[in-house]
Amino acid sequence: MSVDVIVCVKTNPDLQMIRIKDRQPVLEAIPYKVGDLEKNALEAAMQLRDAAGGGTVTALTVAEGDRKVKETIKEALAMGADEAAIVSDPALVGADPAAVAQALAAAVKKIGTYDLLLFGEGSTDNYTGQVGARVAELLGLPQIGYARKISVTTDGVQCERSMDDMIETLAAPLPAVVTVVSEINEPRIPSLMNIMKAGKKPLQEWTPADLGLDAAALAPQRQIVSNLAEEQDRKHILFEGTAAEQADAFVNALLNEGVLGR
Amino acid sequence: MEKVDCIVVGGGLAGLSAAYGLASAGLEVMVLERGDYAGAKNVTGGRLYVSPIRELYPELWAEAPFERAVAREWITMMGDGAHTTFEVAADRFAGETPQSYTVLRARLDQWLAEKAGEKGAMVVPKMKVDELLRREGRVIGIRAGDDEIGADVTVIAEGVLGLLASGAGLRAEPAERDHAVGFKEVIELPPATIEDRWHLNPGEGAAHLFMGAVTKGMLGGGFLYTNKESISLGLVVGMAALKQDPDQGKCFSLLDEFKEMPQIRPLVAGGTVAEYSAHAIAEGGIAQVPRLYGDGYVLAGDTAGLSLNALVTVRGMDFAIASGYHAAQAVLAAKKAGDCSAAGLAGYEQSLRQSFVLKDLETARHIPRIIENPRLFTHYPQAVSRLLESVFTIGPQPSRRLVKTLWRGVRKDFLNVATLKDAWQMRKL
Repeated sequence: MSVDVIVCVKTNPDLQMIRIKDRQPVLEAIPYKVGDLEKNALEAAMQLRDAAGGGTVTALTVAEGDRKVKETIKEALAMGADEAAIVSDPALVGADPAAVAQALAAAVKKIGTYDLLLFGEGSTDNYTGQVGARVAELLGLPQIGYARKISVTTDGVQCERSMDDMIETLAAPLPAVVTVVSEINEPRIPSLMNIMKAGKKPLQEWTPADLGLDAAALAPQRQIVSNLAEEQDRKHILFEGTAAEQADAFVNALLNEGVLGR
Repeated sequence: MEKVDCIVVGGGLAGLSAAYGLASAGLEVMVLERGDYAGAKNVTGGRLYVSPIRELYPELWAEAPFERAVAREWITMMGDGAHTTFEVAADRFAGETPQSYTVLRARLDQWLAEKAGEKGAMVVPKMKVDELLRREGRVIGIRAGDDEIGADVTVIAEGVLGLLASGAGLRAEPAERDHAVGFKEVIELPPATIEDRWHLNPGEGAAHLFMGAVTKGMLGGGFLYTNKESISLGLVVGMAALKQDPDQGKCFSLLDEFKEMPQIRPLVAGGTVAEYSAHAIAEGGIAQVPRLYGDGYVLAGDTAGLSLNALVTVRGMDFAIASGYHAAQAVLAAKKAGDCSAAGLAGYEQSLRQSFVLKDLETARHIPRIIENPRLFTHYPQAVSRLLESVFTIGPQPSRRLVKTLWRGVRKDFLNVATLKDAWQMRKL
């Protein structure tokens, strides 16, 4: 058999490189990359494709901002996705999860044939964890969240699902939506050869109009009122004395703060 | 084996400049950069002298993400208990076509990578080249992980340590005598504060060098460059001197001590440290420039030892960009002639010899050995400051005539066997 998987991929700023200034993230000159859990989803998709002995993995993304998405999505192609599709438009800058789900659902319909839609359970930056579920609802598909294991047969998809104190095994008919957690696999690092090939793989670009969506439908339903880094008070305690005294005083201070000995 | 026209090892200014030139001419170019992005592993003091390279890629510089055009040069000579600062401002430093700009590499290199990408170069970050592939002495490509990629010419611009090039015997192993280590902090300050502290008009920049007590007598000095919203403050210390120092390995604490000096504290007051970085610097001058080309390869930038510390001017990035440019031109000519052997690439060294790169390094041939003289970092800054201190001092005793005061100081500190020997040596500067 063959299995066609669409992996919905969010690109986000490289969080490791972001500094906080005046409690706000400094995004200037920060490169974008494919989100962490989306890499797990891509890896899972490729493993399913390869296990089935055929099929297509399509990386689908919505450009929610000015993020050189065409370059960034190549990372998914370099990992081993067969094709990529991008929905981009200035109207999508600052899009909220509802709008992103609308755009993704419309693009999935446009792609047409697929067995499985894979998502990360949440994005690396905002982590609303909404988009997978929303897309499933919009398309009227069954959905399984937090999958840590996926297998596909002609009967449908089977997933192990991580819960706090148990593991659920669920099955659903195809096509279905599955969101994955990081423990599902170790995403591969693209080899140079695959990076070279990525540039030659098919890459489709759509505007919302191409998908029959009007800009009003994509207008954010919610407004971000404030987005501030947590403020941490520095204690500014200087321990003096011999090294042993300093160590004792330091450990005592940690005990008093409840950091140690809980 | 997959093959491209040209592989560039290293996404710094030399490599990217070469890639930009090659891709502009339509060649299939791949830049392999080990860091997370171009510039991630690169450090400058930093100032880029644009005057020497303005005519190479003239379309680029108008939109480059420079920080500030340097309008004022400051030099502080630090002795114990006294220091002297010169401030030099000239209209032409930062007029309509400024001669130099302060820069931050993360921004500058990413921008140049983008420009090379727009021309069609493929810039691949997070990709470490493990080996240069050779066949009968000729460099025929690279190996990265399990992948081998062939190229007609490999531009080796891997940085100052040149591990691949020295590993393959294309240049000598880096010697500590020819290298220094630079370490710096980027300290954020409001633009208006920067402009007040260095007497600048809005948008203008300053370069400020420090000689003397900052390195505790070791070869080197301090530097400070004003960026748009930050300053780059750091030290450069010779590796050989650092190794002999009993406190060796503690060079980072020198920077803390530097910041705490009474001359520096008010300059950095109120600032927030945003970044810390360090890098090796080639300071051996032309004597350590290796053979620049061979069958199937050229060396560019720091890998080729193209940098110059001339005490009051410190250069490397302009050499890197120019060497990348000339490397690209030479590779294009070689490809056109269908001869990428050493003979076909010989034009690279010829054009560098005709350009400022090797000419300036040749002119400065004796500088690396002259600046090894520790008196430059101990005696002279102290002596200059002591002399001027005496001129400005009014004590309880009746004062001497100014000329007499000056003469006494000059005779004591500048006219003795050691300093006369230094003067004789310095005629070669």
